[in-house]
Amino acid sequence: MTDLPSPAKPVPSLAARLRAAAGGLGLHGLMAVLSLAMVGPFVWMLLTSFKSYAEAADPAWMPETFLWGNYPEVLRVIPFARFTLNSLMIAGWVTLLQVFTSALAAFSFARLEWPGRDRVFFLYLGTMMLPGLVMLIPTFQIMVRFGLVDTYLGLILPAAFSAFGTFLLRQFMLGIPKALDEAAEIDGASKWRIFWDVVLPLCRPGLVTLAIFTFMGNYHSFFWPLVMMKTVDKFPLPVGLMFFDSERGQATHLLMAGVTMSVVPLIVLFVFMQRQLIRGIQIGAVKG
Amino acid sequence: MRSSRSQTRRVLTGLGFLLPNILGFLAFTLVPLVLSFGMAFTDMDFFRHNPFRDEPIRFVGLENFAWLFGHPEFWHYLRNTFFLMLGLPFAIAGSLGAALLLTRVGKRPGLIPGALVLATLILTGSLLALRAAGMSEAGVWFIFGLTAATALVAGVFTGGTIYRTLFYLPHFTSGVATFVLWKKLYNPQTGPINFALAPVLDGFGGLIRAAPGWFSVGVPVLAGLVGTLLAGWQLRRLRQHWDDATAGQVAVGFGVTMVILPAGFLLHWLGVPLGLAAGFVVGAVVLLTALIVRRPRRWGPVCSLDTGLSAEIALALGLVPLLILSAAGVIFGPTLPAAAAAGIEPPNWLGDYDWAKPAIMVMALWAAIGSNNMILYLAGLSNIPPELYEAADMDGASPTQRFWHVTWPQLAPVTFFIFVMGIIHGLQGGFEMARVMTLGGPAGSTTTLAYFIYIEGFETGRLGYASAAAWVLFLLVFILSLLNFRFGNRGTND
Amino acid sequence: MKLFFAACVIGLGLLSAALFLTQSDREGDVPVITWITQNDENKRAIVDTFHQWIKDQKLPPVELRIDNTNQDPTKKLVQGVSGVGADLLDLYLYETDLFPATGMIADLTEDAKRMGFGPEATYPALYDDVITLGRQYTFPRNTGVTLFWVNRGTFAKYNVPTPPWRWNSDEFEALGRRFVAAANPPGTRQRVYFANGVSRDVLRRGLGLTTFNETGTFCTLDDPRNVTVLTRVRKWVVEDRLFPTKEEDAAMAADITGYGSMFSHFTSGRFAMIYTGHWAFIMIRPRGVFQLAAVEPPQDDFPNTEMGAGGVGVYEGTKHREHALRFMQFLASEPFNRLIVRQADSLPPVPKYAETEEFLHPQGRENEWGVHGAFAQSGRETGILYSRSPFVLFSQTFRIEMETYEAMIAGRLTPAEAAKQMADRINTEIRLTVARNDRLRALYEERLELQRQIDARRAAGRPVPAAWVTDSFHRAYYQKHGWLEEEAKP
Repeated sequence: MTDLPSPAKPVPSLAARLRAAAGGLGLHGLMAVLSLAMVGPFVWMLLTSFKSYAEAADPAWMPETFLWGNYPEVLRVIPFARFTLNSLMIAGWVTLLQVFTSALAAFSFARLEWPGRDRVFFLYLGTMMLPGLVMLIPTFQIMVRFGLVDTYLGLILPAAFSAFGTFLLRQFMLGIPKALDEAAEIDGASKWRIFWDVVLPLCRPGLVTLAIFTFMGNYHSFFWPLVMMKTVDKFPLPVGLMFFDSERGQATHLLMAGVTMSVVPLIVLFVFMQRQLIRGIQIGAVKG
Repeated sequence: MRSSRSQTRRVLTGLGFLLPNILGFLAFTLVPLVLSFGMAFTDMDFFRHNPFRDEPIRFVGLENFAWLFGHPEFWHYLRNTFFLMLGLPFAIAGSLGAALLLTRVGKRPGLIPGALVLATLILTGSLLALRAAGMSEAGVWFIFGLTAATALVAGVFTGGTIYRTLFYLPHFTSGVATFVLWKKLYNPQTGPINFALAPVLDGFGGLIRAAPGWFSVGVPVLAGLVGTLLAGWQLRRLRQHWDDATAGQVAVGFGVTMVILPAGFLLHWLGVPLGLAAGFVVGAVVLLTALIVRRPRRWGPVCSLDTGLSAEIALALGLVPLLILSAAGVIFGPTLPAAAAAGIEPPNWLGDYDWAKPAIMVMALWAAIGSNNMILYLAGLSNIPPELYEAADMDGASPTQRFWHVTWPQLAPVTFFIFVMGIIHGLQGGFEMARVMTLGGPAGSTTTLAYFIYIEGFETGRLGYASAAAWVLFLLVFILSLLNFRFGNRGTND
Repeated sequence: MKLFFAACVIGLGLLSAALFLTQSDREGDVPVITWITQNDENKRAIVDTFHQWIKDQKLPPVELRIDNTNQDPTKKLVQGVSGVGADLLDLYLYETDLFPATGMIADLTEDAKRMGFGPEATYPALYDDVITLGRQYTFPRNTGVTLFWVNRGTFAKYNVPTPPWRWNSDEFEALGRRFVAAANPPGTRQRVYFANGVSRDVLRRGLGLTTFNETGTFCTLDDPRNVTVLTRVRKWVVEDRLFPTKEEDAAMAADITGYGSMFSHFTSGRFAMIYTGHWAFIMIRPRGVFQLAAVEPPQDDFPNTEMGAGGVGVYEGTKHREHALRFMQFLASEPFNRLIVRQADSLPPVPKYAETEEFLHPQGRENEWGVHGAFAQSGRETGILYSRSPFVLFSQTFRIEMETYEAMIAGRLTPAEAAKQMADRINTEIRLTVARNDRLRALYEERLELQRQIDARRAAGRPVPAAWVTDSFHRAYYQKHGWLEEEAKP
């Protein structure tokens, strides 16, 4: 597996690191305050998740007493784990398929020469400008015709093909030196081998970037699954979270507890993937 | 003969790689597309065309479009859609600012998981201690202080990586959860925003009551000063760019217009008749533009007419609201004491006709600053060759000049990409928001075209009508994107 | 990377297989019917009572399951018209005419006659909710009447007398201004309001006006009486500050986050009165013991209150029609009505159970005794359904009226302009519907002709046959003024 060449950085000593950090303390202070603005609503969300049903409508931020039992309550009222697994599974398949089909198409647009190529590419780009709502109703009717309503496939398939992904990966592939596939071609490699063994490993950062964008987007998608799914067992998380009934209306405190829990897997994913992500975009760079 | 065979082969190979995507594209994009296009010319309706009630579908020609343009509120909804998009430049500027700060603060990943564990431990420990000490409402401030301190410590240790995660945080919650959260935040009676704002406004009201003269005079004077300074800065900037040949005649003219226009509004609000105010605007624009454009260029006329236009547009979208705000300060300043006498009420955010749209834009801004856009900017920034900055430093450029001459032009491709995607999403947006937060109200002030399509399609059942509206929306996105490609892209490839 | 890729595929494959195989909704031996409603204690009690009732009646066993996950109106509609709806559907407010109009709700007219849950089994005032264009599609599982709830403690606190049972809008305004002045010290931001809002429909009907004419063919809101009502409400909101700027509960009605802070404001004394239904007990009881009363909304000439059925309908595409019909029959049965009485969720669908001692004077809740009787009396005497027309969906009427009203409150329209715009926009919608729907166009022509005859008779001072007047409000109004012919049917 070929890794991307990265210049070796000298590892600074701990003392040097501390000194540098102290120099930027003012900047750090600013960043901390700005972070607070981003985190503020989440603090409210977290605090609300510990309130009682009646308290959740009150203006005070602080719960009277912290009801830790709200979290087990969420797990009791809805099959939270199942919803999460559904979401992970659906978003996982969508990501995998989208990355794969987009990579194939991007390879065709970026590395192969064939007449009419650019015209087809611009047609692809044009489809990004269509409001999703234009196609919602006809797509739903197609789903009904194919018997895909209330199935996992009905959520995975329409999201698995993306012009955006193709566009993004094409930009990445354009940045990879042509000489590499020419060398491989002289060695008698087929197009598929070039794609699979040469180009794909080289644009790994691009694949990771697209994977994260796609995964995040699909983990959150709400309206389409809401309309499509009927059986509780198949609900993804965002749809499943909307059903904390009380006698009248929704139980905000449980909703907030559920949302808090639903964010955790994403944060973990992001923290561990962000190095890949940032490096991925650095190399590909988006050129108009 | 041989070449044509190989050509066919090449096409087949190319299409072969495209096949999986093309199949999905046909099934889930092209077919629905064609169907919806067809529907726009029929009387298709949920109520008459479904498995239980199968009446024939009729072709109605352009009638749906005629209905649409005859709808008394259609233009209102269209205006709303565009108004809400005015937040886009702010969001882009916010993302850029965040990315700049994040780059400044350092980029040394490492220690991340460790620091996160540490931060979590500190936070949880302190919260437990707080709980043991007995909770009170004041504890909230403690929590905020604690969060900031934790972020700071973690930030120092991780070389700023933690901020990136925190800034990206809004992106982790789903759209609907964000809307529900903000709806609760905005609640005029019980929401924390007004809860925090009320004492501030009471204090402010008290202050005004204590010294009405200071405010009735001070606010307009200050606003006028800020406005004048801003306008002066922009005019000077335009002159500079003209001299540097980084702004063409069209860009200068546009920039000047955007400075003078708020002054025209101010005149009109102060009671000058509309015609006279318009005359003033035209006259001032022509005069100032001429004054700038007459100047000889330092390096000769090497740029085309519309060079730098996209930068001017981006800047103006940020500048104009500020100028309008200061004009409003001049107008409303003198009325402050009267308003304070009865106590200043915090806004009824989503329930107030004039506040609902700004409230939604603030929410969108919050969600957009730390989004994928910020990540794309981070990548773009790290791609700028350091030599460019070194060269600028050798020329003795100030930080501002460094930004305008190196950073901004180098980021143009990213900005362009983000802008195009932002317009595409902005014009199509607002329907989940309206569905969860406002139901399009009050008085339809947050009903966007997308929400209108949703209502007609899913509540009223008129699928044909809804499709027609959707195609009008498509046409808008298409035209705007085309303009964007035509003009916005020009500066980006050099 | 290839390894990673393969691992992903295998992992996802295993996950999918596991999720696919562990789905729990396989039907057993007993047929299962699904009911789309909230999943709360009251509904679960209904399910238990239903199962018991089936056993007692020696009927073939059936399992009723609550589905609270498909309640979203859009979802119910889209899935329903695509053939994948649940067996039993709740029909609230605008769904009552919307869903039957799609043909997805089964016509129960004959079955209802056979099994005893026809319109005569419930309140006469609910007739138009149960019967749509002469056919029965639903039966109520609860009956809502809306009144002003009074927190007597709040009035006592500010030394303001509690409101009378029946009052006109001048009295309402006078008491409201007095209360607001007493409860908010001068020079401070207003914190205490007289009420959360007021119904414009009730005020209009009090003056003899409603949204539509007698036959539902024309929106009559462009009328001086509507201008009077709008002017008055605007004064109450903008000048007198009797209510907060936005009528919260109106927006909350379709709000995904549920009913907001109305009840906490009511019990904490920030709203002296709230305008809501009998079900408010469920929200108020857990908050403590309050000295409660219920009074009619203000009205000038024709006393009326708002009433509506929370109906249940049977899905046309159901596979278990007979079992679903049993549930409808259960709604008219004694065990169900007694259960509703105990739960205090609403008025029971069968009126006689609202006259029981158990309903009027529940044990150990002396502070509530005045309220239950008030609701029962209003349901019997003054309750009238929302006016609606078969030619425009209620959701649209509601949206247009609301939008225009809000524009007036925001100062963008004068009351006269608002009244005109309401009527114009609603009439445009009627035109659009009639232009395309042949079936409705025929009905429309018929109704127009009737309307002409009604107008002619009224002009000549002659009475009108009750069957001609299809609007519930107009029928009640005509009845009161003796404008109906004698041998009138309900």
